[in-house]
Amino acid sequence: MVLFLLAVVALAAMPWWAKTGTIRMVLELCCYIAVAQMWNMLAGYAGLVSVGQQAFMGAAGYALFVLAQTFGVNPFLAIFIALLVPAFLAVPCYMLLHRLDGPYFAIGTWVVAEVFRLVASNMGFLNAGAGMSLNVMKEYSLFERNVAMSLLCALLILLTIGGSYWFLRSRYGLALIAMRDNPVAAASQGVNVRRLRFMIYVAAAVGCGLAGAVYAMAQLRINPPSAFDPMWANVAIFIVMVGGIASIEGVLIGSLIYFIADRWFGQYGASYFVVLGVMTVFVALYARGGIWGAVSKRWDVHWFPIRRHLVYTPEEKP
Amino acid sequence: MQWFDALIQGILLGGMYAQYALGMALMFGVMRIVNVSHGDLVILLSLIGISLASNFGWGPFTVMVALVPLAIALGWLLQKVVLNKVVGDDPLPSLIATFGLSIALQNMMLQIWSANSRSLPGGGIESQSIQIGGIYVGLLPVLVLTFATALTWGLDLVLKRTRFGRSLRAASADVEAASMSGINARAVYASATAIAVGILGFAAVFQSLRSTVAPADGGAQLIYAFEAVIIGGMGSVWGAFIGSMVLGVSQAIGFRIDPGFGVLAGHLVFLLVLAIRPQGLFGKV
Repeated sequence: MVLFLLAVVALAAMPWWAKTGTIRMVLELCCYIAVAQMWNMLAGYAGLVSVGQQAFMGAAGYALFVLAQTFGVNPFLAIFIALLVPAFLAVPCYMLLHRLDGPYFAIGTWVVAEVFRLVASNMGFLNAGAGMSLNVMKEYSLFERNVAMSLLCALLILLTIGGSYWFLRSRYGLALIAMRDNPVAAASQGVNVRRLRFMIYVAAAVGCGLAGAVYAMAQLRINPPSAFDPMWANVAIFIVMVGGIASIEGVLIGSLIYFIADRWFGQYGASYFVVLGVMTVFVALYARGGIWGAVSKRWDVHWFPIRRHLVYTPEEKP
Repeated sequence: MQWFDALIQGILLGGMYAQYALGMALMFGVMRIVNVSHGDLVILLSLIGISLASNFGWGPFTVMVALVPLAIALGWLLQKVVLNKVVGDDPLPSLIATFGLSIALQNMMLQIWSANSRSLPGGGIESQSIQIGGIYVGLLPVLVLTFATALTWGLDLVLKRTRFGRSLRAASADVEAASMSGINARAVYASATAIAVGILGFAAVFQSLRSTVAPADGGAQLIYAFEAVIIGGMGSVWGAFIGSMVLGVSQAIGFRIDPGFGVLAGHLVFLLVLAIRPQGLFGKV
């Protein structure tokens, strides 16, 4: 926990110790962590497997660009207003998709992401397929932009990792863990499974939206294929499955592995992705818990203790 | 006239989608799993077919004769090596396993065949057309629709009439009760996947005849198959067939309205069906 807070502070203070290139790399890593953690909450706890979270990333990215570029809102204010868009879009999406059964839900989310992409590439208002540029960022100096990016990174991690941790430790967390283990039994104990799933879906949409908006702001350009890139789903699934599903530690480990692998082996292109794909298959077949699952089975360590222990005092002190 | 033409073209396009959707409906009906690499398998088989045709100078129907047994073997292998380990109540493992497989297949194809689009030379049938009541209809799309109808009819018959069909339906209704009455569920599953992928062998030949294929096209084919199954209603073979027609017609009409709107129109009809009739047009509640 202390380490986590130190890391957030270090992220926020990046302009004073890191170069611009490093900040950009860290920003990418933070986006991976955020998106993966949101996917982890959906798949690992709520039982909602999504392959279309990029829908909300792109939607928030576009909202940011429209607000800042077309309406002239201060971009750093716009990034927060833009988060309303994925939140509002997530509601009707969930209303439609929750009717689909298990695996069909996943493909349904993919269709939604495709719809978003196609709508964006047909809308003249969003400059259709050509995309938009964030020219207003010219008004800020490089240092100012670095400060803003670092603060946004820190906020992104604080909200997605810290937020999930807080949520899992709260009263809802207990309900969520009960739901993960057995939704029917949880419902019979008075857990409102439907409402909880809905809440997680909307929260994950906003979390991915923030990551998408931050990423788009760093790129300074947005167009439909990159904003709604299915690559994000691949990355999130790889990170969570290999790192270890249903644990925050797993997401951090998985993100680091992916980030380093991407730097080292990215040059091999297609064959590198073949290896990633095969690794995902193997984890699904033989090691469902991922790396963290194996580690925590052998040594009883937890960086983010979300387990609950039975104690005989009236107050719960895990 | 223009809209009638769109309707005909849409139904013919639906014939193509039906060939993807059948296997998907079968696999979901029997095992409750969705094979995310469904579309990538079509593309893989297409590319193998194209390579066979160019290396040995085979015509499209010789390729089909070679490709269908290969597809059946591939499906059986897929079930034995991967899917039998992940089938169960939890949808997550099967989704993740086939998702990983899809990424691996896509990039492996990229490595072997590069990102170029290719197509299968049809020796002229891809450009022939016949005139029916003032409308020119391509010979190839008619052939596709005929095959799709025959495959649907055949599959329906197998499910309803044969001993194998009975064990398949029993395993889909209740695995445990079925195995108590002497049905080997794993073997039934393997045959179901073999049939589902076997049908893709036909689809692969037609897909590469009527348009081009490239390694990255698999995702779109998966989505079309999925939409057709949901529109038609789950667990019914003819439902998947009709769903494919509805999807094909929506896309054809969409393309007439605006070329950028065609695929989107299909998606919107899918979402509309989901909103007003979530069990699908022919599904039972």
